[in-house]
Amino acid sequence: MLVTHLRTLLTLLLLLCSVTSGLTMETPRLSGRINDYANMLSAQSATALEQKLAAFERETSTQVVLLTVSSLQGETIEGLAIRVAEAWQIGRQDKDNGVILLLAKQERKIRIEVGTGLQGALPDITAAQIIRKVIAPHLKAGNYDAGINAGLDAIIAATKGEFTAAATSRPAQKKTSSRYGILLVLLPLAAVVVFVAAASSRRSGAVAGGISLPLIVELSLGASYSTILLLGILGGIAGFLISLLIRAGGGGSRGGGWGGPTIFYGGGWGGHSSGSDSFSGGGGDFDGGGASDDW
Amino acid sequence: MRRYISAVLMTAMLGLLSGCGYNTMQANEEAVIAAWGNVESTYQRRADLIPNLVEVVKGYAKHEADTLKAVTEARAKVGSMQLSKDAINDPATLTRFQQNQSELSSALSRLMVVAERYPDLKANQNFLDLQKQLEGTENRINVARERYNQAVQTFNTSIRTFPNSLTNSLLLHLTRKEPFKAEPGANLAPKVQF
Repeated sequence: MLVTHLRTLLTLLLLLCSVTSGLTMETPRLSGRINDYANMLSAQSATALEQKLAAFERETSTQVVLLTVSSLQGETIEGLAIRVAEAWQIGRQDKDNGVILLLAKQERKIRIEVGTGLQGALPDITAAQIIRKVIAPHLKAGNYDAGINAGLDAIIAATKGEFTAAATSRPAQKKTSSRYGILLVLLPLAAVVVFVAAASSRRSGAVAGGISLPLIVELSLGASYSTILLLGILGGIAGFLISLLIRAGGGGSRGGGWGGPTIFYGGGWGGHSSGSDSFSGGGGDFDGGGASDDW
Repeated sequence: MRRYISAVLMTAMLGLLSGCGYNTMQANEEAVIAAWGNVESTYQRRADLIPNLVEVVKGYAKHEADTLKAVTEARAKVGSMQLSKDAINDPATLTRFQQNQSELSSALSRLMVVAERYPDLKANQNFLDLQKQLEGTENRINVARERYNQAVQTFNTSIRTFPNSLTNSLLLHLTRKEPFKAEPGANLAPKVQF
Protein backbone atom coordinates (compact mmCIF):
# COMPACT_ATOMS: atom_id res chain seq x y z
CA MET A 1 0.00 0.00 0.00
CA LEU A 2 2.80 2.37 0.89
CA VAL A 3 4.63 1.31 -2.24
CA THR A 4 1.75 2.51 -4.33
CA HIS A 5 1.68 5.71 -2.25
CA LEU A 6 5.24 6.48 -3.20
CA ARG A 7 4.66 5.41 -6.73
CA THR A 8 1.78 7.85 -6.96
CA LEU A 9 3.94 10.60 -5.55
CA LEU A 10 6.81 9.85 -7.90
CA THR A 11 4.53 9.68 -10.88
CA LEU A 12 2.96 12.98 -9.98
CA LEU A 13 6.32 14.61 -9.40
CA LEU A 14 7.83 13.52 -12.68
CA LEU A 15 4.67 14.08 -14.68
CA LEU A 16 4.59 17.67 -13.47
CA CYS A 17 5.08 19.07 -16.93
CA SER A 18 3.38 16.43 -18.96
CA VAL A 19 0.61 17.12 -21.40
CA THR A 20 -2.38 14.87 -20.94
CA SER A 21 -3.02 12.50 -23.81
CA GLY A 22 -5.82 13.40 -26.21
CA LEU A 23 -7.82 10.23 -25.89
CA THR A 24 -9.63 10.71 -22.60
CA MET A 25 -13.17 9.56 -21.99
CA GLU A 26 -16.10 11.92 -22.29
CA THR A 27 -16.83 13.84 -19.09
CA PRO A 28 -19.56 11.95 -17.17
CA ARG A 29 -22.88 13.74 -17.05
CA LEU A 30 -24.21 15.13 -13.78
CA SER A 31 -27.48 13.31 -13.11
CA GLY A 32 -28.20 13.99 -9.46
CA ARG A 33 -26.11 13.74 -6.33
CA ILE A 34 -25.47 10.02 -6.78
CA ASN A 35 -23.88 9.25 -10.16
CA ASP A 36 -23.30 5.54 -9.87
CA TYR A 37 -22.20 4.70 -13.41
CA ALA A 38 -20.27 1.63 -12.24
CA ASN A 39 -23.33 0.22 -10.47
CA MET A 40 -21.65 -0.23 -7.16
CA LEU A 41 -24.61 0.78 -5.00
CA SER A 42 -27.91 -0.97 -4.39
CA ALA A 43 -31.01 0.93 -5.45
CA GLN A 44 -32.13 1.55 -1.84
CA SER A 45 -28.72 2.87 -0.84
CA ALA A 46 -28.68 5.18 -3.81
CA THR A 47 -32.06 6.69 -2.94
CA ALA A 48 -31.28 6.97 0.74
CA LEU A 49 -27.94 8.64 0.04
CA GLU A 50 -29.51 11.00 -2.48
CA GLN A 51 -31.92 12.15 0.26
CA LYS A 52 -29.21 12.39 2.90
CA LEU A 53 -27.02 14.56 0.70
CA ALA A 54 -29.98 16.73 -0.33
CA ALA A 55 -30.84 17.30 3.33
CA PHE A 56 -27.23 18.18 4.08
CA GLU A 57 -27.27 20.74 1.29
CA ARG A 58 -30.48 22.28 2.60
CA GLU A 59 -28.95 22.64 6.09
CA THR A 60 -25.51 23.83 5.15
CA SER A 61 -25.54 24.76 1.42
CA THR A 62 -22.57 22.39 1.02
CA GLN A 63 -22.93 20.13 -2.01
CA VAL A 64 -21.51 16.60 -1.82
CA VAL A 65 -21.76 14.28 -4.80
CA LEU A 66 -20.70 10.75 -5.63
CA LEU A 67 -19.35 9.58 -8.97
CA THR A 68 -18.42 6.00 -9.73
CA VAL A 69 -16.94 4.95 -13.09
CA SER A 70 -16.18 1.46 -14.32
CA SER A 71 -12.82 2.40 -15.69
CA LEU A 72 -10.57 5.44 -15.96
CA GLN A 73 -9.62 4.45 -19.52
CA GLY A 74 -6.00 5.35 -19.10
CA GLU A 75 -6.51 8.68 -17.35
CA THR A 76 -5.29 9.37 -13.82
CA ILE A 77 -7.99 9.68 -11.20
CA GLU A 78 -6.73 13.18 -10.40
CA GLY A 79 -7.11 14.16 -14.05
CA LEU A 80 -10.67 12.86 -14.22
CA ALA A 81 -11.59 14.42 -10.89
CA ILE A 82 -10.54 17.95 -11.84
CA ARG A 83 -12.20 17.64 -15.25
CA VAL A 84 -15.46 16.60 -13.60
CA ALA A 85 -15.12 19.29 -10.92
CA GLU A 86 -14.71 22.00 -13.53
CA ALA A 87 -17.64 20.73 -15.59
CA TRP A 88 -20.07 20.14 -12.73
CA GLN A 89 -19.09 23.15 -10.58
CA ILE A 90 -20.31 21.57 -7.36
CA GLY A 91 -20.76 23.94 -4.44
CA ARG A 92 -22.04 27.50 -4.27
CA GLN A 93 -20.19 30.08 -6.32
CA ASP A 94 -19.58 32.46 -3.44
CA LYS A 95 -18.52 29.72 -0.99
CA ASP A 96 -16.81 27.08 -3.18
CA ASN A 97 -18.15 24.43 -0.81
CA GLY A 98 -18.32 21.30 -2.92
CA VAL A 99 -16.94 17.79 -2.41
CA ILE A 100 -16.78 14.99 -4.98
CA LEU A 101 -16.22 11.38 -3.94
CA LEU A 102 -14.94 9.51 -6.97
CA LEU A 103 -14.46 5.74 -7.31
CA ALA A 104 -12.93 3.91 -10.27
CA LYS A 105 -13.98 0.29 -10.08
CA GLN A 106 -11.54 -1.42 -12.40
CA GLU A 107 -8.42 0.41 -11.22
CA ARG A 108 -9.60 0.24 -7.60
CA LYS A 109 -8.91 3.91 -6.99
CA ILE A 110 -10.65 6.35 -4.68
CA ARG A 111 -10.39 10.12 -4.71
CA ILE A 112 -12.01 12.85 -2.64
CA GLU A 113 -11.88 16.17 -4.50
CA VAL A 114 -12.38 19.09 -2.11
CA GLY A 115 -13.57 22.56 -3.15
CA THR A 116 -11.43 25.54 -2.21
CA GLY A 117 -13.87 26.74 0.45
CA LEU A 118 -13.75 23.49 2.41
CA GLN A 119 -10.02 22.95 2.62
CA GLY A 120 -9.92 24.23 6.17
CA ALA A 121 -12.45 21.67 7.39
CA LEU A 122 -11.36 18.88 5.07
CA PRO A 123 -7.64 19.29 4.33
CA ASP A 124 -5.65 16.81 2.28
CA ILE A 125 -4.59 14.83 5.33
CA THR A 126 -8.14 14.35 6.59
CA ALA A 127 -9.34 13.34 3.13
CA ALA A 128 -6.49 10.83 2.96
CA GLN A 129 -7.44 9.41 6.35
CA ILE A 130 -11.09 9.08 5.38
CA ILE A 131 -10.07 7.12 2.32
CA ARG A 132 -7.54 4.92 4.04
CA LYS A 133 -9.30 4.24 7.33
CA VAL A 134 -12.99 4.56 6.56
CA ILE A 135 -13.67 3.70 2.93
CA ALA A 136 -10.90 1.37 1.78
CA PRO A 137 -11.39 -1.37 4.41
CA HIS A 138 -15.03 -1.87 3.35
CA LEU A 139 -14.19 -1.85 -0.33
CA LYS A 140 -11.38 -4.36 0.16
CA ALA A 141 -13.94 -6.68 1.74
CA GLY A 142 -16.23 -6.19 -1.24
CA ASN A 143 -18.79 -4.09 0.67
CA TYR A 144 -19.38 -1.24 -1.73
CA ASP A 145 -22.57 -0.01 -0.08
CA ALA A 146 -21.00 0.12 3.37
CA GLY A 147 -17.82 1.75 2.12
CA ILE A 148 -19.57 4.49 0.18
CA ASN A 149 -22.05 5.16 2.98
CA ALA A 150 -19.31 5.38 5.59
CA GLY A 151 -17.23 7.62 3.36
CA LEU A 152 -20.04 10.07 2.67
CA ASP A 153 -20.93 10.12 6.38
CA ALA A 154 -17.34 10.96 7.24
CA ILE A 155 -17.26 13.74 4.66
CA ILE A 156 -20.50 15.17 6.03
CA ALA A 157 -19.18 14.98 9.59
CA ALA A 158 -15.96 16.78 8.67
CA THR A 159 -17.67 19.60 6.81
CA LYS A 160 -20.67 19.98 9.07
CA GLY A 161 -19.77 23.05 11.05
CA GLU A 162 -18.33 24.96 8.18
CA PHE A 163 -21.19 26.66 6.37
CA THR A 164 -24.83 27.49 6.99
CA ALA A 165 -27.42 27.92 4.28
CA ALA A 166 -28.34 31.53 3.54
CA ALA A 167 -31.84 32.50 4.65
CA THR A 168 -32.70 33.40 1.07
CA SER A 169 -30.75 31.31 -1.37
CA ARG A 170 -30.05 33.26 -4.52
CA PRO A 171 -29.99 31.31 -7.77
CA ALA A 172 -26.51 30.30 -8.88
CA GLN A 173 -24.92 32.53 -11.47
CA LYS A 174 -22.79 30.73 -13.98
CA LYS A 175 -19.44 32.39 -14.56
CA THR A 176 -20.13 32.84 -18.24
CA SER A 177 -22.81 35.45 -17.58
CA SER A 178 -20.50 38.35 -18.38
CA ARG A 179 -20.37 37.41 -22.04
CA TYR A 180 -24.13 37.53 -22.32
CA GLY A 181 -24.03 40.93 -20.64
CA ILE A 182 -22.18 42.47 -23.57
CA LEU A 183 -24.69 40.90 -25.92
CA LEU A 184 -27.60 42.45 -24.04
CA VAL A 185 -26.09 45.90 -24.40
CA LEU A 186 -25.30 45.57 -28.09
CA LEU A 187 -28.53 43.96 -29.22
CA PRO A 188 -30.84 46.94 -28.56
CA LEU A 189 -28.33 49.21 -30.31
CA ALA A 190 -28.22 46.86 -33.28
CA ALA A 191 -31.99 46.69 -33.37
CA VAL A 192 -32.26 50.49 -33.45
CA VAL A 193 -29.69 50.76 -36.24
CA VAL A 194 -31.35 48.10 -38.33
CA PHE A 195 -34.80 49.59 -37.86
CA VAL A 196 -33.59 53.01 -38.91
CA ALA A 197 -31.84 51.55 -41.92
CA ALA A 198 -34.83 49.39 -42.78
CA ALA A 199 -37.13 52.37 -42.60
CA SER A 200 -35.16 54.14 -45.29
CA SER A 201 -35.01 51.34 -47.83
CA ARG A 202 -35.20 47.59 -48.22
CA ARG A 203 -31.62 47.30 -49.36
CA SER A 204 -30.08 49.29 -46.53
CA GLY A 205 -32.16 47.29 -44.08
CA ALA A 206 -30.69 44.12 -45.51
CA VAL A 207 -27.17 45.51 -45.43
CA ALA A 208 -27.53 46.76 -41.87
CA GLY A 209 -28.91 43.43 -40.68
CA GLY A 210 -26.31 41.47 -42.58
CA ILE A 211 -23.44 43.37 -41.01
CA SER A 212 -24.67 43.98 -37.49
CA LEU A 213 -25.81 40.50 -36.51
CA PRO A 214 -22.50 38.73 -37.10
CA LEU A 215 -20.65 41.74 -35.76
CA ILE A 216 -22.32 41.75 -32.36
CA VAL A 217 -22.14 37.98 -32.01
CA GLU A 218 -18.44 38.02 -32.86
CA LEU A 219 -17.69 40.87 -30.48
CA SER A 220 -19.58 39.44 -27.54
CA LEU A 221 -19.34 35.68 -27.86
CA GLY A 222 -16.73 35.08 -30.53
CA ALA A 223 -17.68 32.96 -33.52
CA SER A 224 -16.09 30.88 -36.24
CA TYR A 225 -15.98 32.18 -39.81
CA SER A 226 -18.72 29.86 -40.99
CA THR A 227 -20.97 31.05 -38.15
CA ILE A 228 -20.27 34.65 -39.11
CA LEU A 229 -21.15 33.94 -42.73
CA LEU A 230 -24.34 32.19 -41.75
CA LEU A 231 -25.34 34.97 -39.38
CA GLY A 232 -24.57 37.51 -42.08
CA ILE A 233 -27.01 35.83 -44.42
CA LEU A 234 -29.62 35.49 -41.69
CA GLY A 235 -29.16 39.07 -40.60
CA GLY A 236 -29.46 40.26 -44.18
CA ILE A 237 -32.70 38.39 -44.69
CA ALA A 238 -34.02 39.63 -41.36
CA GLY A 239 -33.14 43.24 -42.15
CA PHE A 240 -34.79 42.92 -45.56
CA LEU A 241 -37.95 41.47 -44.08
CA ILE A 242 -38.07 44.06 -41.31
CA SER A 243 -37.92 46.79 -43.85
CA LEU A 244 -40.71 45.14 -45.83
CA LEU A 245 -42.83 45.14 -42.69
CA ILE A 246 -42.06 48.74 -41.86
CA ARG A 247 -42.68 49.99 -45.35
CA ALA A 248 -45.67 47.70 -45.79
CA GLY A 249 -47.69 50.57 -47.29
CA GLY A 250 -47.06 49.42 -50.88
CA GLY A 251 -46.24 45.84 -51.79
CA GLY A 252 -47.11 42.52 -50.29
CA SER A 253 -46.10 42.07 -46.72
CA ARG A 254 -44.44 38.73 -46.60
CA GLY A 255 -42.73 37.41 -43.55
CA GLY A 256 -45.30 38.70 -41.15
CA GLY A 257 -45.98 36.92 -37.95
CA TRP A 258 -42.65 36.50 -36.31
CA GLY A 259 -42.31 40.01 -35.00
CA GLY A 260 -39.23 42.18 -35.40
CA PRO A 261 -36.06 41.95 -33.44
CA THR A 262 -36.79 38.66 -31.72
CA ILE A 263 -34.99 36.99 -34.60
CA PHE A 264 -31.72 38.37 -33.28
CA TYR A 265 -32.23 36.65 -29.96
CA GLY A 266 -32.97 33.30 -31.53
CA GLY A 267 -30.66 30.48 -32.28
CA GLY A 268 -28.77 28.40 -29.81
CA TRP A 269 -26.05 30.37 -28.12
CA GLY A 270 -24.71 27.07 -26.92
CA GLY A 271 -22.98 26.77 -23.57
CA HIS A 272 -25.21 26.03 -20.55
CA SER A 273 -25.71 22.35 -20.11
CA SER A 274 -29.09 22.20 -18.44
CA GLY A 275 -29.19 19.31 -16.00
CA SER A 276 -32.27 17.28 -16.69
CA ASP A 277 -33.00 16.91 -12.97
CA SER A 278 -33.48 19.70 -10.49
CA PHE A 279 -29.99 19.21 -9.05
CA SER A 280 -27.15 21.18 -10.54
CA GLY A 281 -23.84 22.58 -9.44
CA GLY A 282 -23.83 26.07 -7.95
CA GLY A 283 -20.69 27.38 -9.59
CA GLY A 284 -18.22 26.25 -6.94
CA ASP A 285 -14.49 26.26 -7.60
CA PHE A 286 -11.87 23.51 -7.19
CA ASP A 287 -8.09 23.79 -7.21
CA GLY A 288 -6.93 20.18 -7.16
CA GLY A 289 -6.95 19.75 -3.37
CA GLY A 290 -8.01 16.48 -1.78
CA ALA A 291 -6.50 13.01 -1.67
CA SER A 292 -6.38 9.76 -3.61
CA ASP A 293 -5.58 6.19 -2.74
CA ASP A 294 -6.18 2.61 -3.80
CA TRP A 295 -8.16 -0.10 -2.22
CA MET B 1 -26.91 55.47 -52.60
CA ARG B 2 -26.48 57.88 -49.71
CA ARG B 3 -28.89 55.87 -47.58
CA TYR B 4 -26.87 52.78 -48.40
CA ILE B 5 -23.63 54.35 -47.22
CA SER B 6 -25.13 55.73 -44.05
CA ALA B 7 -26.56 52.31 -43.23
CA VAL B 8 -23.16 50.72 -43.62
CA LEU B 9 -21.50 53.44 -41.58
CA MET B 10 -24.02 53.12 -38.79
CA THR B 11 -23.48 49.40 -38.41
CA ALA B 12 -19.72 49.73 -38.62
CA MET B 13 -19.87 52.10 -35.68
CA LEU B 14 -21.34 49.27 -33.65
CA GLY B 15 -17.93 47.68 -33.82
CA LEU B 16 -16.27 50.75 -32.43
CA LEU B 17 -18.73 50.80 -29.56
CA SER B 18 -17.23 47.65 -28.13
CA GLY B 19 -13.76 49.06 -28.69
CA CYS B 20 -12.60 46.26 -31.00
CA GLY B 21 -11.57 44.14 -28.07
CA TYR B 22 -9.90 46.87 -26.02
CA ASN B 23 -11.60 45.70 -22.85
CA THR B 24 -11.48 42.02 -23.68
CA MET B 25 -7.73 42.01 -24.15
CA GLN B 26 -7.15 43.80 -20.87
CA ALA B 27 -9.47 41.41 -19.05
CA ASN B 28 -7.69 38.44 -20.60
CA GLU B 29 -4.31 39.75 -19.52
CA GLU B 30 -5.60 40.18 -15.98
CA ALA B 31 -6.77 36.59 -16.08
CA VAL B 32 -3.26 35.49 -17.08
CA ILE B 33 -1.76 37.48 -14.20
CA ALA B 34 -4.23 35.95 -11.74
CA ALA B 35 -3.53 32.46 -13.05
CA TRP B 36 0.19 33.07 -12.68
CA GLY B 37 -0.40 34.14 -9.10
CA ASN B 38 -2.01 30.76 -8.45
CA VAL B 39 0.92 28.95 -10.03
CA GLU B 40 3.37 30.79 -7.82
CA SER B 41 1.38 30.16 -4.67
CA THR B 42 1.03 26.42 -5.31
CA TYR B 43 4.77 26.13 -5.91
CA GLN B 44 5.34 28.10 -2.72
CA ARG B 45 3.10 25.70 -0.85
CA ARG B 46 5.33 22.84 -1.94
CA ALA B 47 8.45 24.68 -0.92
CA ASP B 48 6.93 25.29 2.52
CA LEU B 49 6.43 21.57 3.13
CA ILE B 50 10.05 20.70 2.50
CA PRO B 51 11.76 21.79 5.75
CA ASN B 52 9.41 19.55 7.76
CA LEU B 53 9.98 16.69 5.37
CA VAL B 54 13.74 17.01 5.63
CA GLU B 55 13.57 17.06 9.43
CA VAL B 56 11.42 13.94 9.62
CA VAL B 57 13.57 11.99 7.18
CA LYS B 58 16.74 13.11 8.91
CA GLY B 59 15.47 11.55 12.15
CA TYR B 60 15.43 8.10 10.56
CA ALA B 61 17.92 8.28 7.73
CA LYS B 62 20.88 10.19 9.08
CA HIS B 63 23.26 8.63 6.63
CA GLU B 64 21.44 9.94 3.60
CA ALA B 65 23.06 13.31 4.07
CA ASP B 66 23.75 13.82 0.37
CA THR B 67 20.17 13.35 -0.71
CA LEU B 68 18.88 15.58 2.06
CA LYS B 69 21.41 18.23 1.20
CA ALA B 70 20.38 18.14 -2.47
CA VAL B 71 16.76 18.75 -1.52
CA THR B 72 17.63 21.59 0.84
CA GLU B 73 19.82 23.25 -1.75
CA ALA B 74 17.26 22.90 -4.52
CA ARG B 75 14.67 24.47 -2.25
CA ALA B 76 17.00 27.34 -1.41
CA LYS B 77 17.58 27.96 -5.10
CA VAL B 78 13.85 28.14 -5.71
CA GLY B 79 13.35 30.42 -2.73
CA SER B 80 16.10 32.81 -3.76
CA MET B 81 14.54 33.47 -7.13
CA GLN B 82 12.62 36.70 -6.75
CA LEU B 83 10.06 37.10 -9.51
CA SER B 84 9.19 40.66 -10.41
CA LYS B 85 5.68 41.70 -11.39
CA ASP B 86 6.77 41.69 -15.00
CA ALA B 87 7.97 38.09 -14.92
CA ILE B 88 5.23 36.71 -17.10
CA ASN B 89 6.30 38.96 -19.95
CA ASP B 90 9.86 37.62 -19.90
CA PRO B 91 10.23 34.09 -21.35
CA ALA B 92 13.81 33.75 -20.09
CA THR B 93 12.74 34.31 -16.48
CA LEU B 94 9.93 31.83 -16.85
CA THR B 95 12.25 29.21 -18.28
CA ARG B 96 14.64 29.65 -15.37
CA PHE B 97 11.76 29.45 -12.91
CA GLN B 98 10.48 26.27 -14.50
CA GLN B 99 13.97 24.79 -14.47
CA ASN B 100 14.56 25.53 -10.80
CA GLN B 101 11.23 23.99 -9.88
CA SER B 102 11.89 20.83 -11.83
CA GLU B 103 15.28 20.46 -10.19
CA LEU B 104 13.44 20.56 -6.88
CA SER B 105 11.02 17.93 -8.22
CA SER B 106 13.91 15.63 -9.12
CA ALA B 107 15.58 16.10 -5.74
CA LEU B 108 12.29 15.32 -4.01
CA SER B 109 11.68 12.16 -5.96
CA ARG B 110 15.18 10.93 -5.20
CA LEU B 111 14.45 11.57 -1.54
CA MET B 112 11.26 9.53 -1.75
CA VAL B 113 13.11 6.63 -3.34
CA VAL B 114 15.65 6.75 -0.52
CA ALA B 115 12.92 6.90 2.13
CA GLU B 116 11.55 3.65 0.78
CA ARG B 117 14.52 1.83 2.30
CA TYR B 118 13.62 2.77 5.90
CA PRO B 119 10.61 0.83 7.22
CA ASP B 120 10.47 2.84 10.45
CA LEU B 121 10.28 6.04 8.46
CA LYS B 122 7.56 4.65 6.22
CA ALA B 123 5.47 3.85 9.27
CA ASN B 124 5.93 7.26 10.87
CA GLN B 125 2.65 9.18 10.98
CA ASN B 126 4.31 12.54 10.36
CA PHE B 127 6.00 11.19 7.28
CA LEU B 128 2.76 9.71 5.98
CA ASP B 129 0.93 13.00 6.54
CA LEU B 130 3.65 14.99 4.80
CA GLN B 131 3.56 12.57 1.90
CA LYS B 132 -0.17 13.09 1.48
CA GLN B 133 0.24 16.85 1.70
CA LEU B 134 2.96 16.69 -0.89
CA GLU B 135 0.77 14.67 -3.24
CA GLY B 136 -2.05 17.17 -2.78
CA THR B 137 0.32 20.05 -3.50
CA GLU B 138 1.71 18.40 -6.62
CA ASN B 139 -1.82 17.97 -7.90
CA ARG B 140 -2.61 21.61 -7.20
CA ILE B 141 0.53 22.61 -9.09
CA ASN B 142 -0.60 20.57 -12.09
CA VAL B 143 -4.04 22.15 -12.03
CA ALA B 144 -2.65 25.65 -11.64
CA ARG B 145 -0.25 25.17 -14.56
CA GLU B 146 -3.00 23.81 -16.75
CA ARG B 147 -5.24 26.78 -15.96
CA TYR B 148 -2.38 29.20 -16.55
CA ASN B 149 -1.77 27.67 -19.96
CA GLN B 150 -5.46 28.01 -20.80
CA ALA B 151 -5.48 31.66 -19.74
CA VAL B 152 -2.37 32.28 -21.85
CA GLN B 153 -3.96 30.63 -24.84
CA THR B 154 -7.12 32.74 -24.52
CA PHE B 155 -5.04 35.89 -24.15
CA ASN B 156 -2.67 35.16 -27.03
CA THR B 157 -5.57 34.33 -29.32
CA SER B 158 -7.37 37.52 -28.37
CA ILE B 159 -4.43 39.77 -29.18
CA ARG B 160 -3.61 38.07 -32.45
CA THR B 161 -7.01 37.82 -34.11
CA PHE B 162 -8.50 40.62 -36.20
CA PRO B 163 -9.68 43.28 -35.33
CA ASN B 164 -8.14 43.09 -31.87
CA SER B 165 -4.68 42.84 -33.40
CA LEU B 166 -5.14 46.34 -34.80
CA THR B 167 -6.23 47.76 -31.46
CA ASN B 168 -3.27 46.07 -29.84
CA SER B 169 -0.65 47.30 -32.25
CA LEU B 170 -2.03 50.83 -32.24
CA LEU B 171 -3.08 51.34 -28.62
CA LEU B 172 -2.25 48.67 -26.08
CA HIS B 173 1.01 47.01 -27.14
CA LEU B 174 0.39 43.90 -25.05
CA THR B 175 2.94 41.15 -25.59
CA ARG B 176 2.36 37.51 -26.21
CA LYS B 177 2.82 35.30 -23.15
CA GLU B 178 4.61 31.95 -22.94
CA PRO B 179 2.79 28.87 -21.70
CA PHE B 180 4.43 26.20 -19.59
CA LYS B 181 6.08 23.63 -21.78
CA ALA B 182 6.34 19.93 -21.13
CA GLU B 183 9.84 18.70 -20.44
CA PRO B 184 11.34 16.14 -22.82
CA GLY B 185 10.65 12.66 -21.53
CA ALA B 186 8.20 13.91 -18.92
CA ASN B 187 5.33 12.02 -20.50
CA LEU B 188 6.98 8.68 -19.74
CA ALA B 189 5.97 7.32 -16.37
CA PRO B 190 9.01 6.31 -14.35
CA LYS B 191 9.60 2.62 -13.77
CA VAL B 192 10.03 2.34 -10.05
CA GLN B 193 11.48 -1.00 -8.93
CA PHE B 194 11.28 -1.59 -5.22
